[in-house]
Amino acid sequence: MAGHAHRAESLVRLGLRPDRWDWLVALAGNPNTGKSTVFNALTGLRQHTGNWPGKTVVRAEGAFAYGDDRMKVVDLPGTYSLQAGSTDEEVARDFLLFGHPDVTIVVVDATRLERNLNLLLQVLAITDRVVVCLNLVDEARRHGVHVDAGRLEKELGVPVVATVARSGDGIEQLLAVVHDVATGRRSTDPVRVEEVPPELESAIRSLEPELAAAFPTLPNRRWVALRLLNADTRIENAVRSGEIGQLRPDAAPPPVTGRNVGGERARPHASSPDPTAVAVAVEEDGVPDIDRTLDALNEATSDAAREAVLSRASELRWTLPPDVHDGVVASIYRKAEEIAHAATETPGVKARRTLDRSLDRLLTSPWTGFPVMLLILTAVFWVTIAGANVPSGMLATLLVEKLHPVLVSFGGAIGMPWWLSGFLFDGVYLATAWVISVMLPPMAIFFPIFTLLEDFGYLPRVAFNLDGLFRRAGAHGKQALTMAMGFGCNAAGVVATRVIDSPRERIIAILTNNFSLCNGRWPTQILLASIFIGSLAPAHLAGLVSAGAVVSVALLGIVVMFASSWLLSRTLLRGEATTFSLELPPYRPPRVLRTLYTSLIDRTLIVLWRAIVFAVPAGAVIWVTGNVTIGDASISQHLVDWMNPFGLLVGLNGVILLAYVVAIPANEIVIPTILMLTVMTTGVSIAGAQGSGVMFETDSLVDIEHLLRLDGWTLLTAVNVMLFSLLHNPCSTTIYTIYRETRSAKWTTLATVAPIVMGLGATFVITHVARLLGWVG
Amino acid sequence: MPDPALALLVFAALVAVTAALVWPGVGVLARVRRGGRANLRVEMEDALKHLYKVAYRGGEASPESLAGALQISQSHATRLLSQLKGAGLVREGSTARLTDDGSAYALRVIRTHRLWERYLADRTGVAPADWHTEAERREHEMSDDDVERLSARLGHPRYDPHGDPIPTASGDLPAAFGVPLTHLEPGDTARIVHLEDEPHDLYDRLVGMGLSPHMDLRVLEGPPGSVVVEVDGRTLRMEDGAAQNVTVTSREAGDVSTGEDTTLLDVPAHGEAVVRGISPACQGIQRRRLLDLGLVPGTTVRTELTAAGGDPRAFLVRGAIIALRREQQRAIRVTLPDAATTAAGAAGAVSAHGGTD
Repeated sequence: MAGHAHRAESLVRLGLRPDRWDWLVALAGNPNTGKSTVFNALTGLRQHTGNWPGKTVVRAEGAFAYGDDRMKVVDLPGTYSLQAGSTDEEVARDFLLFGHPDVTIVVVDATRLERNLNLLLQVLAITDRVVVCLNLVDEARRHGVHVDAGRLEKELGVPVVATVARSGDGIEQLLAVVHDVATGRRSTDPVRVEEVPPELESAIRSLEPELAAAFPTLPNRRWVALRLLNADTRIENAVRSGEIGQLRPDAAPPPVTGRNVGGERARPHASSPDPTAVAVAVEEDGVPDIDRTLDALNEATSDAAREAVLSRASELRWTLPPDVHDGVVASIYRKAEEIAHAATETPGVKARRTLDRSLDRLLTSPWTGFPVMLLILTAVFWVTIAGANVPSGMLATLLVEKLHPVLVSFGGAIGMPWWLSGFLFDGVYLATAWVISVMLPPMAIFFPIFTLLEDFGYLPRVAFNLDGLFRRAGAHGKQALTMAMGFGCNAAGVVATRVIDSPRERIIAILTNNFSLCNGRWPTQILLASIFIGSLAPAHLAGLVSAGAVVSVALLGIVVMFASSWLLSRTLLRGEATTFSLELPPYRPPRVLRTLYTSLIDRTLIVLWRAIVFAVPAGAVIWVTGNVTIGDASISQHLVDWMNPFGLLVGLNGVILLAYVVAIPANEIVIPTILMLTVMTTGVSIAGAQGSGVMFETDSLVDIEHLLRLDGWTLLTAVNVMLFSLLHNPCSTTIYTIYRETRSAKWTTLATVAPIVMGLGATFVITHVARLLGWVG
Repeated sequence: MPDPALALLVFAALVAVTAALVWPGVGVLARVRRGGRANLRVEMEDALKHLYKVAYRGGEASPESLAGALQISQSHATRLLSQLKGAGLVREGSTARLTDDGSAYALRVIRTHRLWERYLADRTGVAPADWHTEAERREHEMSDDDVERLSARLGHPRYDPHGDPIPTASGDLPAAFGVPLTHLEPGDTARIVHLEDEPHDLYDRLVGMGLSPHMDLRVLEGPPGSVVVEVDGRTLRMEDGAAQNVTVTSREAGDVSTGEDTTLLDVPAHGEAVVRGISPACQGIQRRRLLDLGLVPGTTVRTELTAAGGDPRAFLVRGAIIALRREQQRAIRVTLPDAATTAAGAAGAVSAHGGTD
């Protein structure tokens, strides 16, 4: 459309620099309505968007310029309502009320109009200055639904702009309307849901005069009364402090130049003394710091009048039936239905698109759903492993074999002391190089494919298929996806648990994600399986047998995940709150290029960056312990000797335990560290080793086997290490992520310690049973 | 290396000891923590609560009733009462009646208890049968500030999940209403307003029968001996002792529905139904989420997909496909299209009803 070129002229995206602005725009909407896409289209930010309800957990902010005006956009969490039942709803509601947005854009999904109108009508009860972004009109058309935007506008009394945010259609017009409403050039007269259950109606009526006495200028008194009768703490506090009186009658928006109500931020082109202060306050508690502006407004209202309102409200609450809330929601939905019917050309229960129905039949029916799912998941893993092999090898060759010697000799050439060059190049550099070469390629393949499936809408169907299984373990079907994500990277898996909106099931998913064998641990498994287990079988079957061993370990991880989910939900988490809800969105054609770009940015690079941050100190520690000597041996030699008795007791050895301790930051460097430490303790030198105290890896399995057997490794040791690699603490990136997501030291500790205890217990039992049965000496 | 058999034995013993120590709920640690609470203060608070409740329901407390309620010996109960009198919480005299201070104290403990039950019902997944025990434990541990914070967090609820009013911070409590189920005659219809949660085993039995406040019932066979009622299309028999603990208010026969409840579970694959309402047994965030998804009276719902094993199933609800588990489907009452002629009327009646209950 011609608008593209035009938009480029009038819309200047300001991305992440929302520090100076003239108008504040809030963006609200149901989950999964394309709200994030609208946000990106407005600001040019690449916020991650997916075909998943419930993505925007942390609020995003951005800005754009329209003409001469700068607009700051705040993306509120996607919610189904504003009843403040969950944290998300509270954040959204509080911002609409006390954040004083000049305009609120409510993104409405044209395919599910009634449900979206439920939220919209609640927003209209709070504020007049609303612009409706009727999104996904193309999808609605595909589903045979035509929504008449003009008619909808008439019914709602606020501007409605039809958009297809994905392609940018209608965004230009949306901006123009938002600007008009912000500047007061266009006024609104929103529809209000007046009908409420009769008992509530009389309670509201007797409370309204009290409110009017305490706050003469208060608009939407009816709504405030309703909230007080609902015992909404935030509103009660706002009444008590007088803050509520600050809600200005916004039906008559102030002229462009007269925006002097809201304090510093309201001056056009304000470069307020500390522009970030407001933004910080908004970010931290969802409510801007408005204390400064309160004083002037407080004078009008006396404490006594305010307290009278509150005590009257709590008296009246006793006259209400217990389930009065149901009646309120029902009347909002009745209104929503009425409006939707008037504005839609296919009223009543709409038939779903045939394509969606046949896809669903194929993807979720008991007979075909599971085979197709296994096929798809196998293909994803196969493509990841096979596809990552070559680039991984190339990266390893480049970074370790080629670049490392160059760096070392460069260090020598400029006269670096041996310890500095060792510390930097043999320690820090090598550890980082390993992490990158092992981690980057699989992630760069796995995450985009996963994101494409997500975008298409397949993943919620997987959750639907597997929910029965997970329900029996006390978990949520969506855990299937966070678990699958964990096979790529546990930290990413833990972040992905945000899509689970039930508190108990989310913690279960976080705590058990570590049992998905992440790609940093596959190399250990594959190496040991090929050396010690494959060799048990005849040569032509060796590959198959060792692959089978690795897959068995991964399957064991899934079994442990189910078992521990079951145990957690029945013991520690028995009392946590639980709600199940799973929405299956319509299928959408995935946007390949966009997905590649965003999943690379948000998932791959962020996780990789965190891993590198942790790998650098690990490399440093490994080098220092390997090269600093105390008495006649290096620190690591002392540590190995010290840990060895315990190691042998659980069927491992001191080298392995030390390797797992120093490799907490990244599982990728376990094998290189084990090889380095083994060379050090046995004093054997093999091809590929670059001198003592330097991590290395070699392609020669024979050499590795020779080295390990010299150090006393047996088949039992190898099996134990494979088990321990599955059952040990998460890497430090994941631990950190768990802490960020749960904000709880208790859950983080449990997630860290429990797997180690399980791993050591398992290896101990296996070792001693094996010895008891005389399998090993 | 130690002898493997010995090592395994030691390991097994260690695991067993650890489990016995820390197993949630039954481990030694949990027991020690619980045991530490059985002190005088707890006993006094429980006694005050008992005296208040008896008076609230219009009865007269005695050392015997106190001994029964607290499960202590009668001499212990008498001693406790004289301690309470000494503290100025109970009036001097032969009948055990609270002083104003005693009432205020008792109301505070009751307020804490009921707020906790509300919290457990709305915000946690603790089973209904465990609400009382858990609240019983917590009510003695909270400061006044904690109680106010809890109340604010819950939106100052008015009723606990058993249907009992929660005293306000200033100590106001509406007068008791309703009558015991045993006062009804066969053929009477009524709505449950309260299930007494003490003694605990009777309460467990009532909850086990699937009873909860706001449910409608019809008396089929009356006392004495036992009461037979129809609830949700099921016929339940309970002895007078249990029926005595169910408080009801009479309702007109036209206002109640005690017939078999058709729920979403009864809607066949690819079938349609109209929502009548959400069961009173489903409370808190669960209920709110279902309402927000559009499952309000009058909504037409169609079964779209069934997962392997039959659970969950996905429904077309106001244009969106929503997957619901079996226990959620059970909580959503519907009218099936066979009754289509009455569907519109029923939906209207229920929504009006939703406004009055």
